[in-house]
Amino acid sequence: MIQLLANWILSFDILSGMGISVAWGLSLFIVAALIFVFVAANAIVLVYIERKVSAFMQVRLGPMRVGKFGTLQTVADALKLLQKEDIIPRSADKVLFIIGPWVILVASVVTFAAIPFSDTLLAANMNIGLFYIVSISSIVVLGIVMAGWASNNKWSLYGAMRSAAQIISYEIPVGITLIAVVAVVGSLNLQTIIQEQAGTGNLFHWIPIPLPNWFIFHSPFLFVAAFVYLIGATAEINRTPFDIPESESELVAGFMTEFSGLRWALFFLSEYANATLVAFLVSIVFLGGWQSPFADYEGTQIGFSIITLVAIMWTLFVRAKTGRLSVYPLGLSLVITIAAWLFPGFAIWMASPGIFWMLMKAGGIIFMLMWFRWTFPRLRVDQLMYVSWKVILPLSLINLMGVAIWMWLTGEIQF
Amino acid sequence: MSYFSNISSAITTLVDGMKVTMGYFVRPREHVTLQYPDEVWPIPTRNIGVGEIESYNTIRSKLVVDFEDCIGCKACERACPVDCIHIETFKAGPDEDIGTTKNDTKIKLRVTSFIIDMSECMFCDLCTPPCPEDCIRMTPDYQFISNDNVKLAVTPEERWRDRDHLIYEFSKVSPIERAQRQADAEKVAAAKAAAMEAKKAAAEKAAAAKAEQEAREAEKARAEAATATDSEAPPSPFISETPVDSAEPTPINIPTMESAPEPEPMDRIEVPMETIKTPEIPEVKPVSTETTAEPETSSEPDSSSEPENSSKGETENG
Ligand code: SF4
Ligand code: SF4
Repeated sequence: MIQLLANWILSFDILSGMGISVAWGLSLFIVAALIFVFVAANAIVLVYIERKVSAFMQVRLGPMRVGKFGTLQTVADALKLLQKEDIIPRSADKVLFIIGPWVILVASVVTFAAIPFSDTLLAANMNIGLFYIVSISSIVVLGIVMAGWASNNKWSLYGAMRSAAQIISYEIPVGITLIAVVAVVGSLNLQTIIQEQAGTGNLFHWIPIPLPNWFIFHSPFLFVAAFVYLIGATAEINRTPFDIPESESELVAGFMTEFSGLRWALFFLSEYANATLVAFLVSIVFLGGWQSPFADYEGTQIGFSIITLVAIMWTLFVRAKTGRLSVYPLGLSLVITIAAWLFPGFAIWMASPGIFWMLMKAGGIIFMLMWFRWTFPRLRVDQLMYVSWKVILPLSLINLMGVAIWMWLTGEIQF
Repeated sequence: MSYFSNISSAITTLVDGMKVTMGYFVRPREHVTLQYPDEVWPIPTRNIGVGEIESYNTIRSKLVVDFEDCIGCKACERACPVDCIHIETFKAGPDEDIGTTKNDTKIKLRVTSFIIDMSECMFCDLCTPPCPEDCIRMTPDYQFISNDNVKLAVTPEERWRDRDHLIYEFSKVSPIERAQRQADAEKVAAAKAAAMEAKKAAAEKAAAAKAEQEAREAEKARAEAATATDSEAPPSPFISETPVDSAEPTPINIPTMESAPEPEPMDRIEVPMETIKTPEIPEVKPVSTETTAEPETSSEPDSSSEPENSSKGETENG
């Protein structure tokens, strides 16, 4: 993408004199700025969605006053945060206190460099993309420890230590789970991983249900691995139910206790950037990334028809349960289905890969994370360690071996 | 084995929990939270049992006074158990015609200030039955919130600033006129007091003269008695106590024009007219998402403040 951008810049007559290196640097800067803008806008949108989702799950309405349905609430909050006083405690370690939030933010933003949003839209097509993301995203914990240590506050330090212990524990099952996928593909390049998942096939290779060739449907082991990865990643990004580093009821705000204003906003930004990153990674590694779930336009029509049937059943179910008619899911799926049957162009567009599918899948995963967050109670520290070392780690090892055996059984690899 | 049953129970309970939250997520939330300023609950109507007046068929809430009908009899002020009504009246002159009430009662007192402190009112409705003109009454408006922090009425020192918007001034007499009335009343009172004092002084002078004469007579009588017998006569109590030089009015108790509290209400004259709350009964609308007007704003003194603002805006634009 940087190469494309540089070529595009050089294609203008006025700019062509600047030389390839200057154009390259300029496009690097533009791409970095774009990624940062994406992360910031993403945080603002996600905070609003999170507040709405939590409100709906708790039978509230959520923000309603600023803008229509409170849509501008997070913008107002962000403006308020920017104006706030920047407080550094007198006994804090000033240097670490200042660079801690930036380390966290940078570590979570730079991982987006390797995320392929579509087949062309990615900043850097690295052959070790997956490894890069996993390794860089664990730098976040360094910033957390910095922030917690520099605050010179027992809550902050506890939070930072817990975070360190947590990431050490959960990095291992997460890594092993990803290795299982890498074993299937034979590459660490994220684009290759996505391209491997094109087309449709049978569920678990033999069960005759036509499903996309995503790795979550590749084998029972990878199906479990997807959930193992989701759990481990939730723990890595410190989201509920694994939010013990900032557990509000025990540690005030954990490592964020002493931070206010802009620095605190940076924590928030990186928190949502991390959640988005996990969502992207799950959709890339297990859900086919930017691949469409439909093989061709007939597949789109049939697929949407099935979705409409499910929506009809869902509506009837809700009507039987609550006595109310919720028409929105049904109406939406009906409209899309009719459009898919009437306009072949639309169906073809739906069947084609692109950023739309990437964002849809990531959005679904983010909703899932929010769903987790507003459903589950927080784990105790020892329970957290139990889950990691005694449950998830053995499970991921079994998955790794199981995937290898599965591939030998299905004939994907021969000895 | 307990290891696996632990895991399976964990998974099933987590799935159960997620089902619960998803159930709430898809549930309609139509009447969960009342979007308060936009929608309000319908006010319950019930007869509070005083007469057959239509407006009484309501909950007991904010009081209003139909000021044109108030004759200033202070019956409501006396009835109030918490003394939160403060009325100031001045007698109209004999040739002044203030008007008549809706019951054709001639108003004889000029009510320059009619304050109800709603922060003290307990909505007992004891003040409304005694009113001979039915002009103080309860309204169904229960919303006392206000956006303005300006002083709406007189604020003696004992009042807290944050209650100011709950002190309602119903009198339509302007502060200037009120100060004028007060000054006039002071003048009349001073004149009266001076007249009283003069009269009293004259009476005292006469009394003193009389006492002196009596004393002289008593002296004479005693001397006569002393010459006649040696018995003692009781001393007269009047001699030492009677002031002799009381012809001039003493400064005590006589308010002169300097000591009259005229400068103090001058401060109040500065209070612009729009800061005084003239309550009206706002229309409280039933639940509906479309009502946008805050009921509170409708009870603001629109008539006085809005033309002011608009004219200001025009001049700024011009
Ligand atoms: S309702 Fe009761 S407390 Fe309120 S002003 Fe009337 S008499 Fe006083
Ligand atoms: S009782 Fe009625 S007429 Fe008398 S002072 Fe009160 S409001 Fe006025």
